[in-house]
Amino acid sequence: MSGKGGVGKSTVTACLADGLARLGVRTGVLDADLNGPCMARLMGVKDHKPSPQNGAMIPARNAYSVPVMSMDMFLPEDETPLVWEASSQQGAYTWRSMVEMSALRELLSDTDWGDLDVLLIDLPPGAERLQNLADLLPDLTGAIVVSTASQTAMTVVSRSILMALNVADVKIAGVVENMSTMICSECGCNEQMFIGAETVEELAERHGVPYLGAIPFNITLADYLETGRSYIEEHAGHPAAHAILNVAQRVHFSLKSQSK
Amino acid sequence: MQTAMLTNRAETQMVRSLGVRIGGRTTPEAPMETLRSNLASGGEESSEGPPSSGGKCPFTGMVNDAMGAAESEPKKPVWTAGALARIEAIPPYIQPMVKRNVESYAREQGYLEIDEDVMDAVRGSLGM
Repeated sequence: MSGKGGVGKSTVTACLADGLARLGVRTGVLDADLNGPCMARLMGVKDHKPSPQNGAMIPARNAYSVPVMSMDMFLPEDETPLVWEASSQQGAYTWRSMVEMSALRELLSDTDWGDLDVLLIDLPPGAERLQNLADLLPDLTGAIVVSTASQTAMTVVSRSILMALNVADVKIAGVVENMSTMICSECGCNEQMFIGAETVEELAERHGVPYLGAIPFNITLADYLETGRSYIEEHAGHPAAHAILNVAQRVHFSLKSQSK
Repeated sequence: MQTAMLTNRAETQMVRSLGVRIGGRTTPEAPMETLRSNLASGGEESSEGPPSSGGKCPFTGMVNDAMGAAESEPKKPVWTAGALARIEAIPPYIQPMVKRNVESYAREQGYLEIDEDVMDAVRGSLGM
């Protein structure tokens, strides 16, 4: 979660799935962004059509066997908007959140996930869906907060952390900083992406939650994710791959500590 | 068995949104049934195995009619090779829009197949 759009929650989710899978953690990915789903694409399984088997829906499995379930697998084309059936779309505010809650519950519970150690759930921007999830999953291990070092993003993210802790009563597994620096594809130099009064690490410290590390922006990473192959495996030794693996290790450690 | 009286469209829509199958069921429960049956954007075409529908209740049909379910689940007309060839002859960037308009016209007119005559009729309806 982050609360703010555009900070790279889905990218970080895909990176973490890659990193956790490399560490031997049995990981699944659920896209809880029903209106702007993209995890099927980011995990390289966008053409998968879910099929029922033995009373459950079979998720897609990407190139490194991570099961993925996302709303975009149910929409006929990439650009098809999510429209719920109703006699009229007017007044949708009265029932839309209920049908989305039902859909989220089914995506979670009707999917044959197999044996998993970790299920990563990619949330849409805003804090509402976290509250829905907390209602559906009272034993939710923890929320991983994603933020850039943009001061605007951090203000909104800060608000979401308070919402998670004080209203939704969800534990925070930690904060991941995304797009911390930009690694130049030409010379490999590392440039700061945002400059501000407070760093993401300081934000985490201020809220008393763990800082789980930073993932640099890398132009090939975004392109690479869509193929569904493991960036870490094929770019071992690259600073971005090293950073993702480092964050995945800390996430795994934090989740293990939270679930005890 | 639970009974409820739904007295207006808003109430009926609200209950359907909760995943309640109004009128009961005649087929076994299927996974992601609420999601797939509530999806108006072609959900049932995009996953294998249709969710169950219908029921024994005599009011189910009335409810579905009142909620416009019959209109919102039309069968997609089938394109003939000749009609598809004509679509492919127009600039690619407007093909999706033209296809949608022709399909919409075919559904309104009750055509199950779109052939070159239907396409001519669409052109005629647009005064072209």
